[in-house]
Amino acid sequence: MKKKNSALSTVLTVFLSILCVAWVYPIVMILLNSFKVETAISTSGVFQLPNAATFAGLANYVNAVGSKGFLSAFGTSMVITITSVVAILLCCSMCAWYITRVENFFTKMVYFLFVFSMVVPFQMLMFTLAATSDQLKLNTPWNIWVIYLGFGAGLAVFMFTGFMKSIPLEIEEAAMIDGCNPLQTFFMIVLPVLKPTMISVGILETMWVWNDYLLPYLVLDRKKYTTVPILIQYFKGSFGRVEMGPMMACIMLTVLPIIIVYLVCQKYIIDGVVAGAVKG
Amino acid sequence: MVKATKKWWPIFVLPTFLAFIIGFIVPFLEGLYLSFCKFTTINKAAWVGIGNYVKVFEDAQFWTSLGFTASFTVVSTILINVLAFAVALALTKGIKGTNVFRTVYFMPNLIGGIVLGYIWNILINCVLSIAGQPLLALNNKAGYWGMIILMCWQQIGYMMIIYIAGLQSIPGSLIEAARIDGATGWQTLIKVKIPNVMPSITICMFLTLTNSFKLFDQNLALTGGDPNHSTEMLALNIYNNFYARSGAAWKGIGQAKAVVFCLMVIAISMIQLKATRSKEVQQ
Amino acid sequence: MKKLFAMLLVLAMVLSMAACGASAPAATEAPAAEKPAEAPAAEGSVYYLNFKPEQDEAWQNLAKEYTEKTGVPVTVLTAASGTYEETLMAEMGKSEAPTLFQVNGPVGLANWMDYCYDLSGSELYSHLVGDDFALKDGNAVLGIGYALETYGIIVNKTLLEKAGYTVDDIQSFADLKKVAEDITARSAELGFSAFSSAGMESSSDWRFKTHLANLPIYFEYQADGISTTTAIKGTYLDNYRQIWDLYINNSTCAPAELSAKTGDDSLNEFRNGQAAFYQNGSWAYGDLTGTFSDDELAMIPIYIGAGDEAKQGLCTGCENYWCVNKDADQADIDATLTFLNWCVTEGAEALANDMGFVIPFDTAVESNNLFARMANAYIADGKTPVSWNFTTMPSEEWKNMVGQALTAYAADQTDANWDAVVTAFVDGWASEYALLG
Repeated sequence: MKKKNSALSTVLTVFLSILCVAWVYPIVMILLNSFKVETAISTSGVFQLPNAATFAGLANYVNAVGSKGFLSAFGTSMVITITSVVAILLCCSMCAWYITRVENFFTKMVYFLFVFSMVVPFQMLMFTLAATSDQLKLNTPWNIWVIYLGFGAGLAVFMFTGFMKSIPLEIEEAAMIDGCNPLQTFFMIVLPVLKPTMISVGILETMWVWNDYLLPYLVLDRKKYTTVPILIQYFKGSFGRVEMGPMMACIMLTVLPIIIVYLVCQKYIIDGVVAGAVKG
Repeated sequence: MVKATKKWWPIFVLPTFLAFIIGFIVPFLEGLYLSFCKFTTINKAAWVGIGNYVKVFEDAQFWTSLGFTASFTVVSTILINVLAFAVALALTKGIKGTNVFRTVYFMPNLIGGIVLGYIWNILINCVLSIAGQPLLALNNKAGYWGMIILMCWQQIGYMMIIYIAGLQSIPGSLIEAARIDGATGWQTLIKVKIPNVMPSITICMFLTLTNSFKLFDQNLALTGGDPNHSTEMLALNIYNNFYARSGAAWKGIGQAKAVVFCLMVIAISMIQLKATRSKEVQQ
Repeated sequence: MKKLFAMLLVLAMVLSMAACGASAPAATEAPAAEKPAEAPAAEGSVYYLNFKPEQDEAWQNLAKEYTEKTGVPVTVLTAASGTYEETLMAEMGKSEAPTLFQVNGPVGLANWMDYCYDLSGSELYSHLVGDDFALKDGNAVLGIGYALETYGIIVNKTLLEKAGYTVDDIQSFADLKKVAEDITARSAELGFSAFSSAGMESSSDWRFKTHLANLPIYFEYQADGISTTTAIKGTYLDNYRQIWDLYINNSTCAPAELSAKTGDDSLNEFRNGQAAFYQNGSWAYGDLTGTFSDDELAMIPIYIGAGDEAKQGLCTGCENYWCVNKDADQADIDATLTFLNWCVTEGAEALANDMGFVIPFDTAVESNNLFARMANAYIADGKTPVSWNFTTMPSEEWKNMVGQALTAYAADQTDANWDAVVTAFVDGWASEYALLG
C-alpha cells in the first residue's frame, strides 16, 4: 500500500512538472525572443534560441522604452489603477456598510441595481459610456477612476455586503453608545475587521483595472494618454508596420513586474482570490 | 443605531451612487434607447423603432458568432473545470513541491488578455508554420482550439485554487469514515468529495461560463476574428459592428446586438443563480 | 489623529465627487477657460486625425513647426493601420472631436457627409488646381484631395542586371512573368528572389486587397466606359489571378507563410537585397533612400495582361481627402482652415519632400521623390496613368473579405479557393453596396 502510494506520487510529480514547463514556456519564449534582432523574429523561428548573429542585446528594450513611449504608458496605467482601486475600496466599503446596516426600500433598490450591473456585459454600454465620460471630461488618468468606480461598484459592493452580514453588530452598537458617530464607527471599528475582504477585493479590482483594454481605449483622451495594453495592441499595425522586437520587449516589461509582485505577495493574492470566489 | 446612521447617506452612499449613475445607469439607459435608433454619434440619433432588432436576427454573422461563442463556451467550461479539478485533486495529495506548482499554475491569471493573446498568437503561429499548416489568420480550427488552449492556460490555475480550497474544507473525518467503510479512491471521489465541493463547482462553472461567453481581449489579440469573421465571438462582433463597419445603420444594429447579448448573459446568470440556490437548500 | 485623517479623506472624496457632479453642466465652458493658458497667441486649435501611418512623423514635425511659428496648438493623432474608421468613429463621438479628418473618396464621404464643413469659400480651395480633386455635393465642397501618390513595382536595378535584364526588358505581363520565373529558377545561384513577400498581415495586406485589386477594377471601368458601379462584373479577375500567382510563387517565402508576413518583412527583404521587385508606392521612397541611391531604383507599371500594355503607366491617384468637422467650434474651424492653407503654401516643401506627395495645389513645388518624378516621366512618354478606382470600393469590409480570400488562396492554390476570391470580389461588392443604402 505504501509503495503504491509513493509510485503514484512520483508519477504525479513528473506529470505536474511537465505541466509546469508548459505553463512557464510561453513567457520564457517571449523573453528569449525579446533579445533577438528584428529580422530574426520570423514566424517559424520563434523556437530558436538567440545566437551570436541574432542577439540584439537590450536594443529592443531601449527602443521600447525610448521611442515607443513605454514609460509614459506604464505611468498612466499605474495612476489609473491606483486611483481607481483606492476609490473603489473606500467608497464601496462605505456604501456596502450603509446598505447592510440601514435596510429600507431605497437601499434594497440600490443593492439590486449594483448586483444587476455585475451581470451586464461591457459591450452593452461601451458606446454610451464613452460619450458620457467625454461629456463630463472624465477622460484623463486622474479622473477616470470615477468611471471605474461606477462600473466596478457592483462587484465590490456585492462582496463587501456579503462579508458585512457576518460581522456581529454588538461592537458597533457599543461604539455608537459610547458617542461615536457612524463615520467614526466605520473607520475605527468596521474598517479594521474588513481588512481581509479589502485585500481580496483590492486584488480582484487591481487585476481588472491594470489589464483592462477596451474601457480606457474608448474613454481616455487618446491624443494624450496611452495605457500598457493599448500600447501593446497599437504595436500591431501602427507606425505603418509591425515591430515584433520592441513589442516583445514591451510584453516582457509588462509581465515581469506582475510576476515579481505576484511572487512576493502570492499568499495574499491566492487567499484573496479564494475569499473573493467563495463570497461571489 | 439605524436611525443615527440613516441621515449619513450623503457620505456613505452618495459618492458611489453618483459614480454609478455616471458609469452605469445613464450609459445603460442611453444604450437601451439607442438600440432603437440610427446614429453615428450620440447627438444625431434618429428613431427607427425595432428595425435594428429585425436586422440583428437577419444578420448571418450574428448567428455564426453566436454559434461559435456557444460552442466555445461549452467546450472551454467543461475542459477548464475538469482539468482544474484534476489538478486540484493531485495537489491535495500532499506531494512535494505542491506550493511551487500552485504558484506557477496560477500565474497566467495576472496577465492581461491582450498580452496573453499576443503571446499565444506568436507561439501558435510558429507551431503551425513548422507543422506546415495554414497560420491562424486562415485557419479557423486552429483559431478555435487556440482560444480554448489559451483559456485553459489562463483559467485552470484560478479555478484550481478555488477547488483546492473546497477540497481542503472537507472534514478529514468524512474521508476517513469512507475509507474505513472500504470505499475505493474512486468511490470516495464520487460519493464524498464531489458532493462536498458542490459549492466550489457551481462558482467555478459560473465564472468560466460568463468569462468565456463575454470573452473579448483574448479573441481580439489571438485571432481578431480571422479568417472571414469565422472566429469572431459575440463581444468582438458587437465591437466591430460599432466601430469597424462604415455606414450609419451599423451602430444601431451593434447596439441592438449588445442588448440581445446582455439579455443572454442575464438569462445565463439567472439560471445559474437558481441552480446555486437549489444546491444551497439541499445542504 | 487617525480619526482626523480619515475624516479629511472622506471630506476630500465627497468634495471631489461634488466637483465632478457640478462640472457636468459647465463642461462646455471648461475647455474655453483652459485654452488661453495653452495658446496665448491665438484662438482655436487644430486636431488632425491622420490616416497614413507612414507619414506620422512628418506630420508631427510639421505640426510642431506650425505651433512654434503661430502659437496655435496642432495635435496630430495617427490611427493604427487598418483602424482609421474605428478611431474616427470613436473620436468623432467625443466633445473634443477631430477638427480635421480624412475620407477616402466618394464612398467614405457618404458616411461622414453630415459632418463635413463646406470648404468652397476657403483659401485652400482657391489654391486647388481643379475640381477633379474635390469631393462635392451640389455646390458644396466637402472634401479636398491633398495628395497624389503613385504606386507600381519598385525594382532593384542592380539585382535585375545581375540576373541579366534591364528595366526596359519589361514592357508587358508576359515579360514580367518571364523575368520573374527565370529569377526563381536560378534563385539559388543568384542569391535572391524575384518578389519580396506579399505579406497579408494587416500592416501590408492593403497593397494587394486594395492597390493590386485596383487594376482589374480599372480595366473593367475602362472597358465599360464607367467610373463607378454598384455591381462589378469581374471581367479581369483572371488577370488578377495571374499577377497574384506570379507574386506569391516567385517570392522570398512559401505562399502559406504570407498570412503572417508584415509590411516590415517585405521592406526588409527588399532592402537586404533578397528580392528584386517590391510592390509599393511613392510613400515608401523615404524607407529606401537610406539603402539605395536613386540610380539603383526604378518603378515599373503593374502589368496584368489587360488593356493596351504598351501605353500603360504607373498607378497615380488620390485617396486622401481632407474634411473639416463642421460641428467643431467656429474658432477651431478657422484655425484648421488657416493651418491647412499654411500647409499647402509654406509647408508645400515638407509635403512634397518629407511625405513624398505631389499636391494638386497651384503652390506645389517639384518633389524630390524619385517615384513621383518617374510617374511624370511615364506621362511625358505618352503613357496613360492608371487611375485609382479603389475609392469606389464599397467598404473596408469588402477589402477585408477579398484579402482573406486571397490569403486563403495563397496558402492552397486551388480553383475552388480562387472561386472564393471571385465570390468575395463580385458578390461581396454587390452585397456591401446594398448595405450602404
